[in-house]
Amino acid sequence: MSRFLQMLAVERLKLFRSPVWLLIFVSPLLATAIGMMVNFGTDGSPGDWPTLLAAMSLLHAMLFLPIMAGIFAAVVCRFEHVGGGWKQLLALPVSRPAVYAAKMTAVLGLLAICQLLLLAGLWAAGLVQGVTEPFPWAAVLTRLCASWFACWPIVAMQLGASLGWSSFGIPLALNVSFTVPNMLIVNSAKIAPFYPWAQPLLAMVPTGQGQGFFSSPLPLESVIFAVAGSFLVFAAAGLIYFIKKEV
Amino acid sequence: MMLVRALWADLLKIRGKGIWFLIFLGPLGLIAMQSLNYGFRYDYMMRRYATDPWGGLAENVMMFVPIAIYLGMTLVCSLIAGVEHQTSAWKQLLALPISRKAVYGAKLLLAAALLAVSCLLLSAATAVLGLLLGFGTAPPFGMLLRMSFAPYAGALPVLALALWLSVTMRNQSLPVTIGVAAALISPFAPQLGEWFPLSWPLFSFAGALQAAMIAAGIGLGAAIGLLGLAHFHRKDVDEG
Repeated sequence: MSRFLQMLAVERLKLFRSPVWLLIFVSPLLATAIGMMVNFGTDGSPGDWPTLLAAMSLLHAMLFLPIMAGIFAAVVCRFEHVGGGWKQLLALPVSRPAVYAAKMTAVLGLLAICQLLLLAGLWAAGLVQGVTEPFPWAAVLTRLCASWFACWPIVAMQLGASLGWSSFGIPLALNVSFTVPNMLIVNSAKIAPFYPWAQPLLAMVPTGQGQGFFSSPLPLESVIFAVAGSFLVFAAAGLIYFIKKEV
Repeated sequence: MMLVRALWADLLKIRGKGIWFLIFLGPLGLIAMQSLNYGFRYDYMMRRYATDPWGGLAENVMMFVPIAIYLGMTLVCSLIAGVEHQTSAWKQLLALPISRKAVYGAKLLLAAALLAVSCLLLSAATAVLGLLLGFGTAPPFGMLLRMSFAPYAGALPVLALALWLSVTMRNQSLPVTIGVAAALISPFAPQLGEWFPLSWPLFSFAGALQAAMIAAGIGLGAAIGLLGLAHFHRKDVDEG
C-alpha cells in the first residue's frame, strides 16, 4: 500500500509539473458557458436544475468525458514513452501493479476534479439563469458520481491502449471511434444500456421509461454489464499486458 | 520542383506510422456506423426517406462528417509533424539544401491530399452502402462527392491551423486537444450561426450560403496556411 501511495505521489508530481493538467478546465468551462446561454422555453419561466444539468451534460458527458478519459490516460503514459522513461521507472524497486494502479488512480482523480468543476459550473449557471428552486444536492451528487464511475471502463481500456502504443494518435483515434457513435446510440433504448461509452451520459441524464431525475441513475443491467463487467475485463487485460510487457 | 521532391520524401516518411490506417478508418467507420443505423431500423429509415433515399443517406452520413474531418485533420497533422519531432530531425532536415517554404508547403500539401483521399473514399463507400441497402436507383455521384468535399473545403482553416501548431510545438498534447475540442464542438456549432468557423463544414453542404461558406473555408485556410509558412520561414530551430 505504501508503495502504491509513493507511486501516486510520483504521478501527481509529474502531472502537475506539466501544463497538461489544465485540460480539466476545458469541458466544465464549455458546459458552464452552454448552461448560462441555454433557453428554458418561451414562457420566460426561471428554469429548473434537472433541465440545466441535462443541457450542460449533453456535450460534457456524451463526448468530452469519454474523450478526456482517453486523453488523460495518454498523458500519464506519455511521460514514460518520451526518452526511454519506462526503462528508468521500471528499473527502480517498484512493482508493476503499483505503477499501473497509480496511473489509473491519477486519471480517475483528474476526472473526479473535472466532475467537481462541473458541479461548480452548474451552480454558477443556475445563479446566472436565476433558478429559484433549492439545489437538489443528493440527486446531483449521485448523478455526478455515477457518471464518474461510468468512466472507469473507458479509462481502463484507454490506459491499456496507451501503454501499448507510444504514439498519441492511435489510442485517441480508437477512443474517438467508440465515443462518436454515442450520438446515435443514446437514442436507442435497446443498445444504449449495454454500450460502455454511453454510460457517462446515461448516468447524468435520465432517458429511459419511468426513470425520473431523482430515481437511481443507471438501470441495473447497465451497471452490471456495461460498467462493472467491462471495467473488470479491460482492467485485467491492461494489467496482465503491462506485467508481461517488455520495455 | 523542390516542393514536389519534398512531397515525395514526406510521402515515404509517413509509411508505417498509422496515418494510412487513419485515412481508411475515418470513412469506413462512418459507413459502418450508418450500416448499423440502417440495419437496426431498416424499414423505418426506408419509409422515412422513401421519396429521396440517397438524400436521406447523405443527410445521415453528413451529421458526422464535420467531426470526422476535424479529428482526421488534427491527427494526420500531428503524426506528420511527429515524424520529425520524434527523431529530432528538424535540424537535419533544415540543414539540407532545401528551402523552408518547400519543407512546410510539402507537409501542408501532404496533409491536404491525405484528407482528400479520405473524402473520396467516403463518397465511394456511401455509394456502395446505398447499393447494398437496395436503393434501386443509380448513385448520384455529384451529390455524394459534394457531401464529402464541400465540408472538406469548409474545414480547411482547421487543417492549416493544426499543421501550424503541430509543427511549432514539440509536445503534441496542446495541438491535439485543440483539434479534438474543435471536433467535439462542431456538431453543436451550427446553433451559433454562420460567422462561427466551426459551423462552416455543415453549412457548406446544407443551407442557403453553401458557395460562400466553401469560399470562406478556402480563403481562411489559405490565409492561415500562409501565416504558418511565414512563421516557419523565420523560426529558429530551437528544439533538439
